[in-house]
Amino acid sequence: MPELVKLIGLDFGTTTSSAVIAAALLRRTATGRVDLDEQEEIFRSEMVFTPIDANDRLDVEAVERLLDGWLRAGKVQARELFGGGALLTGLTAQKDNAAALVRLIRSRLGDALIATADDPCLESWLAFMGSCADLSRRHPEAFVLNLDIGGGTTNIALGRDRQVSRTGCLFVGARHVQVVPGTYRIVKLSTYARELFVHLGIGKGPGDDLSAADVDAFLTLNVRLLEAVCSGDRTLLEIPAVQRLEQVRFDMAMDILDSAVTFSGGVGELIYRHLQGEPWPATTHYGDLGIDLAQRIAAAPVWAESLRRFRPGSGGRATVYGLLRHATEVSGSTLFLGSPHLLPLADMPILGALTAQSSDAHIHDVLLLIQQSSRGGCVQIRIGSKEAVVVAEFGRRIARILQQIAFPATHPLVLLVEENLGKVLGQYVTCWGKLPLKVLVIDEVPARDAQYVQIGTLRDQVVPVSFHGFRPAGETP
Amino acid sequence: MKTLTPLIDIVVPEPRPDQVYTRRCFDHDFRFDGLKRLLGAADCSKAGDRNAGLSTANETEREVARAILSGLTLQHLYDHPLTDNAGKIDSVMIVNYDIDRQAFADVADMTLGQLKDRLLNADGFEVQRLGRGLTGVMAAALAKLCDVHELIFIARKISKPTKARTPLGIPGTLASRCQPNHPTDDLRGITLLIYWSLALGGGDALIGVNPAVDTVDNISRILRHIDKLRRRTGAPTQICVLAHIKTQLACLENGVPVEILFQSLAGTDKTNNEFDITVDLLDRGYHTMAEKGPLKDVTEQFMYFETGQGSEFSYGTHNGIDMATTEALCYGLARRYDPFMVNNVTGFIGPETHLDSYEMIVANLQDHFMGKLLGLPMGMAPCYTLHSNITLEGQQIATQLVTAAGANYFMDVGLNTDRMLAYFDTSAHDDQTLREVHGRRPAPAFLEWGLARGIFALDAQGNVARGPRWGDPRQFCESDAEYQDLLAATPALYGTASAGPRPANDVARLTRLNQGVGRAAIHAELRIDELQQLAPFRVVTTEASSKDAHLGSPNLGARLSAQSRAWLVAENRQVQIVVSDGLSAEAVHHNLRDLLPVLMDGFAGHGYTTGQPIIARYGRVKLAEPLADRLQCDVVVYLIGERPGGDALASRSLSAYLVYRLDDAAQQDAARFSGNPAIRFEYTVISNIYSGGLPPAEAGGVIVDRVGHQNELPCACKFCTHARPCTPLSK
Repeated sequence: MPELVKLIGLDFGTTTSSAVIAAALLRRTATGRVDLDEQEEIFRSEMVFTPIDANDRLDVEAVERLLDGWLRAGKVQARELFGGGALLTGLTAQKDNAAALVRLIRSRLGDALIATADDPCLESWLAFMGSCADLSRRHPEAFVLNLDIGGGTTNIALGRDRQVSRTGCLFVGARHVQVVPGTYRIVKLSTYARELFVHLGIGKGPGDDLSAADVDAFLTLNVRLLEAVCSGDRTLLEIPAVQRLEQVRFDMAMDILDSAVTFSGGVGELIYRHLQGEPWPATTHYGDLGIDLAQRIAAAPVWAESLRRFRPGSGGRATVYGLLRHATEVSGSTLFLGSPHLLPLADMPILGALTAQSSDAHIHDVLLLIQQSSRGGCVQIRIGSKEAVVVAEFGRRIARILQQIAFPATHPLVLLVEENLGKVLGQYVTCWGKLPLKVLVIDEVPARDAQYVQIGTLRDQVVPVSFHGFRPAGETP
Repeated sequence: MKTLTPLIDIVVPEPRPDQVYTRRCFDHDFRFDGLKRLLGAADCSKAGDRNAGLSTANETEREVARAILSGLTLQHLYDHPLTDNAGKIDSVMIVNYDIDRQAFADVADMTLGQLKDRLLNADGFEVQRLGRGLTGVMAAALAKLCDVHELIFIARKISKPTKARTPLGIPGTLASRCQPNHPTDDLRGITLLIYWSLALGGGDALIGVNPAVDTVDNISRILRHIDKLRRRTGAPTQICVLAHIKTQLACLENGVPVEILFQSLAGTDKTNNEFDITVDLLDRGYHTMAEKGPLKDVTEQFMYFETGQGSEFSYGTHNGIDMATTEALCYGLARRYDPFMVNNVTGFIGPETHLDSYEMIVANLQDHFMGKLLGLPMGMAPCYTLHSNITLEGQQIATQLVTAAGANYFMDVGLNTDRMLAYFDTSAHDDQTLREVHGRRPAPAFLEWGLARGIFALDAQGNVARGPRWGDPRQFCESDAEYQDLLAATPALYGTASAGPRPANDVARLTRLNQGVGRAAIHAELRIDELQQLAPFRVVTTEASSKDAHLGSPNLGARLSAQSRAWLVAENRQVQIVVSDGLSAEAVHHNLRDLLPVLMDGFAGHGYTTGQPIIARYGRVKLAEPLADRLQCDVVVYLIGERPGGDALASRSLSAYLVYRLDDAAQQDAARFSGNPAIRFEYTVISNIYSGGLPPAEAGGVIVDRVGHQNELPCACKFCTHARPCTPLSK
């Protein structure tokens, strides 16, 4: 019988936080692979303001109450969780006590899932998958550029046919300028906003009213920057105050003549709601410039065609749905688990990539790096052939080099293999179990350009695998 | 609700010694020892009856048998109930005597020949009335006297409409029973096949899924899902999951919508024992449905039975009775429950019962005739497997003939290809084609629903035609993304484009090509020279001396030839690799190159002693047992080609059976757990080995792992359903 598991997505953003919990079945498909099937959403929280205390730090106690309430409402126990994760995004990730919140989340969700802060490229990837996965599949020929505009950041991802090829991140968002709702009286400015105000000659701060010209100048610069991202024009980014907004550089591929541009995040949701006929909320209703930014984007001729033709999903919850549905890969079901008790493995560093064509020297270097890593490490493998003779020879070479470098028997070594060849590769690598090694070979896992991987415990012959610490290119190293 | 007659109240004559029937004809003496022999000899020659030794040697003998049978009175047949091998009358036979005594009295003194003539002259009402007075054996005897025109002409007179939520079998209609099977019960694939069926005008009889896994949880899940689809689409029909009756009753107790209660039936108690059913259980199911079934307030017809010639023979539990007669005995049993529908799947088993299109066509016409005569609402599923010589053309001829004979419905298996059961049935395209050729309509409420949705349209003359949305499954999807999701989960679907009521040519060509590749894989021979390049194989032979013998008689391939028995001696190795063609030699050739080296490396790496590998041409899985006995090995790793289905790539699929020969201690343990004191071997299997499933090199790793870690596995013996620790293979 298929096993019932639960998935979770938690997003603690600059402005708002939200949770989604779903139940799913681990089901064997016709080809023998196990997939997550029949996902049913069992809980979706309200969007709530991310709890911030008087000192502009995360209110960890309030978050704890929030988190426990969500888990109760979703009737979820940590041991039931198979996939998904939690992200601290935007400016929340930059709070000085963000790490404390990550620890809190891990204490609740366990080590199998992602729980991380300040991983903008992962966030961009997830936002793309959460909002554009279906759209991208319906238009597999089209490049889709998704701008996920939240309170603090704009997470950028370019992809085609559900494969993200580039990511980046800007400190452009709704909440850099906080105002009294219904007015343009400044309540608070972010560091980035203050620098932009200086650059624009707007000499105003908390308590001052922004004029129409001030607002226009500030938003025009924001929108021009977003336009520049889409066109690949970096002229504007030569201005130091603007350059500071670039958290992770995004280089638009210049050979792409035409891409569909979509928007997600809170600002994206406002745009598409308006396009569907909803009136704009009242002036600065949310106490920031998000509505004004959405209005500028909706009116910009450069995006008119895309906004008319393409409609992404999930809106303001793109990241949380990305987490829920796409953060976790299901491994193959014929794994080599020489030391299954090692699982779950959290934050395993990915220290290299190999193929059957890799030289002995390359294999040696990667394995040595793992040997020198205090916690062991992981190597991503694309064998490149399913022929027994190739797999056997590759496995024997790895075994030989492991013996040469006297790889310690107590040191965790994880091989993440793209092909369905984990069991046999593990057997050749361990000389049919004779080499005393703590080796896990997890197969049918696509390579990701990430620095870390989480691997959960064995469920119905498969393990959940999640990556974090994404690099901007979004490609295999 | 129909009152079920207690078995004890059904009058059945005492068994009598077999009568010898003789006749001299054209200077030859013919002799038939007993009614079973006479009935078998009077039938058209069919593989199952030939394999059972019941068919005649020639047409003359057959016609003599028919002549003798024609001269027997109905009373004679009544007075000679057929018995089981112990000379007893089983409960199926008893139920068959639960007849309309007045109707029987009207014909008791007639000979079978006279009754046949009367049926040809009578109107439909009279045929139906007389049918109620007949036992299954009498109906079977009549069928053997009828030619094709007569089987069609008499059956055609009989109208047998029924009703559950919606009616079935109303004159002028031809319905469709949607069968959206999926190899892993993936609800997405099942959904797509239901959407497509409805779009093609199918499913008005029933939407019914054969499950891959027969558990209460799984059956409940599927039933709830198809109930949701029925409600969402508004299609006026009923639903069913064709699990075992016990599973369905457990679901019903949990409030799951078991609208129609299904069970496969056989014509002898012994075969029904193999199905794990009894008349008592069926009675309980009927009563439970009447009390608790979701449709109890709208119908008294909520039972659904599937039957088909040959199951009794294939289980070796036919009691010496021919296939048509045991089939008619099924109908006598089914009649007891006034079912909503009966589905006949003759052709499903394989060449050991029906070798070719002719045998399948005749059997279908006989079954339809016998079922209708005995008062059943017969739906037909002329079908085939690729290892028989039945072709799509033969199947289509059968559908035309049984439509002419008045079948209530056909199956809808998308593109004729059952994705779970690896056989080939009729499709909604076929049903629509037959509706248009024979001027039939769908069930009335379904027609209205289809007209409103644009699936059907009425032409200027009021004839039902295909509507603008006929054949488009997307109409039921909320988005193209949903459709693509469903499509991705559905194997062997080569396109949904249509031309008229048929699949578009491109779709048909791909479907047929895939079937062709599958059939070629079955009939291909092992190229032993090529295989011996991979390893120094020794070759054993079985009692199957040819491919045809191998396919037609499964038992032959399970026994070593005398010649091989002579040279195989005890070697006392731990592991023996055996490679056999089974039902796909191509599977061996496509996988062995990458599988065998890993096995050899692995067994050597673990230090197991191994015998020189063996090739067994024309082998079945059970051949592992005599091989293990002769060689005295601990485990046979038996690599064998799987029966191809409709997907060309999957026709290259290999299975690896690990067959453990039990030592004394393990034997006692296994006997205790299995309840089978004679158990001597335990089996476990790794299947789906091919490039599109488990890659052969990886399969090698899995096999080596399993052989070495048998203690981590549950007892996998086919007789045992309980987990127990097994003995590890000692190194």
